[in-house]
Amino acid sequence: MRTAYKVLAYLVAAEVAVQAMVMVWAIAGLSKWVDSGGVFDKSVIEGSIETGAMPFPEVFGILVHGLNGTFVVPGIALLLLIVSFFAKVRGAIKWALIVFALVVVQGQLGFLGHDFPLGGALHGLNALALFGVALYAGRRLRASARRRDVSAPEAQVATPV
Amino acid sequence: MSLNGGLKIVLPILATVAIMAPLGWMWQTSRVPGTYSVMNMGYPDYGGGHVSDSSSGGEMQGHVHNHHSLPSRMITDLIVNPARPADVRVDLVTRQEMLTVGGRPMPGFTVNGVSPGPEIRARQGQLIEVQLRNESVSDGVTLHWHGIDVPNAMDGVAGVTQDAVPVGGEFTYRFVADQAGSFWYHSHQVSNPQVVGGLLGSLVVTPRSGIAQQVDVSAVAHTYGGLRTINGKAEDLRVPTQPGQRVRVRVTNTDNGPMKVWAGGSYRLLAVDGTEVHRPTEVSGRAVTLTAGARVELEVKVPGDGDAFRVQLTKTTAVIIGPQGADVAAPPQPNAELDLLAYGSPASLGFDPAQPSRRFDYRIDRRPGFVKGRPGMWWSINGHLYPNVPMYVVREGDVVLMHIENHSGEVHPMHLHGHHVVVLARNGVAATGSPWWVDSLNVLTNETYDVALVANNPGVWMDHCHNLKHAAQGMVAHLLYEGFDTPYRIAGPADNQPE
Repeated sequence: MRTAYKVLAYLVAAEVAVQAMVMVWAIAGLSKWVDSGGVFDKSVIEGSIETGAMPFPEVFGILVHGLNGTFVVPGIALLLLIVSFFAKVRGAIKWALIVFALVVVQGQLGFLGHDFPLGGALHGLNALALFGVALYAGRRLRASARRRDVSAPEAQVATPV
Repeated sequence: MSLNGGLKIVLPILATVAIMAPLGWMWQTSRVPGTYSVMNMGYPDYGGGHVSDSSSGGEMQGHVHNHHSLPSRMITDLIVNPARPADVRVDLVTRQEMLTVGGRPMPGFTVNGVSPGPEIRARQGQLIEVQLRNESVSDGVTLHWHGIDVPNAMDGVAGVTQDAVPVGGEFTYRFVADQAGSFWYHSHQVSNPQVVGGLLGSLVVTPRSGIAQQVDVSAVAHTYGGLRTINGKAEDLRVPTQPGQRVRVRVTNTDNGPMKVWAGGSYRLLAVDGTEVHRPTEVSGRAVTLTAGARVELEVKVPGDGDAFRVQLTKTTAVIIGPQGADVAAPPQPNAELDLLAYGSPASLGFDPAQPSRRFDYRIDRRPGFVKGRPGMWWSINGHLYPNVPMYVVREGDVVLMHIENHSGEVHPMHLHGHHVVVLARNGVAATGSPWWVDSLNVLTNETYDVALVANNPGVWMDHCHNLKHAAQGMVAHLLYEGFDTPYRIAGPADNQPE
């Protein structure tokens, strides 16, 4: 379970990196397309994915960002929380809860950005917090595992026969 | 095992159950049966009007019963007199094939080999008969007559008013073109990919008395794979005219997003969604917003000096009107908007909205949850997710007020089938212009609209978001006339998927 916890925590961090990458990839593709005379509006974005005929290939980044953010990341964060109950490491639940809470906030800020663009700026800031916290949650488990290894023989001695 | 050890196992399991059980319950309740009738969807909303009878125990949350004392009448009866001969007869054949738009090949759909399909033209009062044959659209097709208040059985909604027409199948649509104006037709089976892919066309009904303009031109705007087009071509539409002529420009937005239209000089907005504006005045320096599915008719005058006149459909494409070869620079997009709430002069509505018999809310929000077993951020109607949405129940003759409110973060083009609604107020500000009748209404986030309609077209009618992607995500409710029922079902043997 501790390995699962570690993997899931790192996976959240990796997903945040992927989310940042695909978004910048999409925006870079958009500006290149606009440079070549393309015009981006609601009908262009709403219609392109269904037909499979995308105005520029990097539109795919927006699609990936949406699917990842709505389904994959919350799913991993939820799994991490459940795994944390079984990890039996001090603080594992607390840090999994913080990761989960930041994921919830992240999703809300993302959708808030559709209506209130400054929410989008906070979405970017919260991503950094989530990345750091997820990384820390994974790393502290590694550290605690090391401590456990060191203290293991001691614990055995203390066990009454 | 000690008590402590036992707890160490039980507690994590309990915590897991505490999280998963509500999610599992939400998932379970969001699932829909393999096949169902829209009559069994959601819960009845009588809007404070007459309640037909008990509404308990359907396949889903509620069940709108109509058995009352009388047996319910099937909507399949709601047709025009079969003995009356057609005045305009059209054969339409649908195919699934590659399109070439702006030199780019892309998968799509055609009607009689082209996209958009052929324009149907009729004179007001004529009976239009369309023989639809589906040659190769594998999911099946239907034709919905967007903006024409046809009899319910002719509305062309798969699983609600008919079965999807399979490959090799046929269906005959017959309706009287009572209203003059600009309309369009499109598939209402798997409608998002099919309409986006081009299964659509224009329908124009000219008034009995004819039009006052010398030139009448249709500009159907559609975006194919990111390419904006007019009448299927990714280029400006050139309309040869003589200096000084008056031109009626009919613009149809067939996309999922709103579109701005403006001109290089002054224009009059003659009609909105197939209804004439009362005493339209000259407008300049203002853009008109066409929501998804909406139409406008502009009157412009060709300059007398041999120059051309431009009507911009977004920044990308334009209708260029003038003598052969003449052109003019594209006018910049105005920031100012033509506000239809105060355009034209007031006129009688033909009914009194101050004495409504039903009042409904159509409140749109967005929240996390499950729709059809899938997790996501979904559109809700009055706080409920599909299919547990309201079924608005009316009786023939009712005056109905609907309060539309959007707090979902995105714009929604709201489209009620079979009826036109008149806008009474936006954000609490009363309309002061010409009666503003619409069938497709642009509702921005944090906007409210109060609209009214007369229930004068019995049947079961979709009331949905015409961003067809949103409809496919569950932004679909229905307006039901008490005493009516439909024999058609969503999914089922015909695999009806109206969205």
